[in-house]
Amino acid sequence: MRALCWEGVGKLAVRDVPEPRIRAEGDILVRVRASSVCGSDLHLINGYLPAMREGDILGHEFTGEVVETGPGVRRHQVGDRVVVGSVVACGGCWYCRTEQYSLCDNSNPQPVFTEKLWGHSPAGILGYSHAAGGYAGSHAEYIRVPFGDVGAFGVPDGVPDDSVVFASDAMPTGWMAADFCGLTGGEVVAVWGAGGVGQMAARSAQLLGAERVIMIDRFPDRLATAADRVGVETINYAETDVLEALRELTAGRGPDACIEAVGMESHDVGPTYAYDRVKQSARLQTDRPTSVRQAIMACRKGGTVSIVGVYAGLIDKFPLGAAMNKALVLRMGQMHAQRYIPMLLDRIAAGEIDPGYLATHPLPLEQGARGYELFEKKQDGCLRSVLHP
Amino acid sequence: MTSNGTRWALLGVAAASAVGVGRAVARRRRRHQPERQDGWYVVRRGVTVDRPRDAVIGFWTDRERLDRALAEWATLEQLDDRRWRCVSRDPGGGDSGWRAEITVDGPGTLRWRVEDGPVPQEGRVELTEASQGRGTEIRAELRYRSGRLRRVVGLAGGHEPDLALRDALRRVKSLIECGQVIDTRRDPSGRSPAQEKATDRMREKLMTGGRA
Repeated sequence: MRALCWEGVGKLAVRDVPEPRIRAEGDILVRVRASSVCGSDLHLINGYLPAMREGDILGHEFTGEVVETGPGVRRHQVGDRVVVGSVVACGGCWYCRTEQYSLCDNSNPQPVFTEKLWGHSPAGILGYSHAAGGYAGSHAEYIRVPFGDVGAFGVPDGVPDDSVVFASDAMPTGWMAADFCGLTGGEVVAVWGAGGVGQMAARSAQLLGAERVIMIDRFPDRLATAADRVGVETINYAETDVLEALRELTAGRGPDACIEAVGMESHDVGPTYAYDRVKQSARLQTDRPTSVRQAIMACRKGGTVSIVGVYAGLIDKFPLGAAMNKALVLRMGQMHAQRYIPMLLDRIAAGEIDPGYLATHPLPLEQGARGYELFEKKQDGCLRSVLHP
Repeated sequence: MTSNGTRWALLGVAAASAVGVGRAVARRRRRHQPERQDGWYVVRRGVTVDRPRDAVIGFWTDRERLDRALAEWATLEQLDDRRWRCVSRDPGGGDSGWRAEITVDGPGTLRWRVEDGPVPQEGRVELTEASQGRGTEIRAELRYRSGRLRRVVGLAGGHEPDLALRDALRRVKSLIECGQVIDTRRDPSGRSPAQEKATDRMREKLMTGGRA
């Protein structure tokens, strides 16, 4: 079959690879119909999470059709349309039973890397490097999904692939970001990053009761899309002082909750940003925490900072003093896909959220490398490239 | 006079630093060395399984399930109602396997002794209830004989009883909680056979040991 493989830092190519096979009772084989690029892939492609091997198949946000099931699979049949959470969860450990699926104890077969790096190993993630288990990814014609009964969900009739594909990762991540904020109604929420996850977080915050959502980015087209589709207020950080603007927009209070949907390659303007870039290039820090710093500084006293952008290791100049003295709540994590996907599919079917507009660039798999280039450089108004094998 | 004083001060600082660094290194070494008793290395490892103690014992006594679980790496033969013989398979097909005798001392307690293997070892396992209804703690104590050099070589090569114990505990936990030990080694990739072999060696490193 054809698959998009990582070939070295910054290099991608479509290759002929063997087809996956059912290997365990709970496995399902899925023929991929749509597989989205994700901002977190960029960290892998660009070598910031150094656990990729030449030939690894990328992709973790996808939907498709079941073509084979293991003998232990109960919930799915051949021919079912499914959307699959990117996080692999066994369904049987304490974390899975308490719906903290991204912390699953048993789904990362190569836990030593993350145990050394983070103290414990969280769940495996499909197509997400050898730190996350070394699973083959979804930018391919077929993919093996372990624990199919736990990780795959039937797609409601009539929802197109290019819409439901985001129920795999961007939507649950956005929803969890908003869920972390503990909204009770009427709050002001600021969201850093107007990409797919940020826009889903903004919509989720509205559905959970936020009265105003303010979005921060530097790309006017993304901000315009967010304003138009989600109904948010916007701040372009390339033109405006973010902290000043947020103070003004909230009459001095600061946002009640700040969502960070950017991650370790965040951008900014000014000397601090230049300094961070140099340090990261020299590997003196693994992550650039620009937007986290802003979120902590901007957040109102006693507010919540919710981090769903991906960070890998160490950062520099973390304003712990601000977080401590303002009594902030910091919440963060990889999303618990399996907890949120069924509810999100219902909301898509009911028309409450329509993520389909994120798929600005549907492309054949053969143009996968181009898809990532459009996405990374934000060319041609690209929000997400969605590959169709 | 001044230069003599400076010299003494520098010497003092250097000596203090050397002692400090030496002590830090020694402390670090001690912290990372397994305990030694009468020429045996002694390590204790534990893993928490999210099942009640009876269910964990049930796993051991369900012969069919256990055989299926062990299929890839060992065979079990019952000698009498308390004793079992376990023969490991070398996954590489070689003869680095071992034979062990397992004795069940009571509900939730067992001992094993390797009779025929590269490293003399024995150990014991106890099951205790975890707090907060978090299931069962499987606590293992392993004793093995090994030279310092052999241990270092073993650690580097991934063949060391402590690493094997941690693997085994992780596998047991996974088998009890979700019925399988997940493996991504034969997942498709765009690698050549030589690259795949190198990647498998790296995978082995990332699979071996860990916290357990």
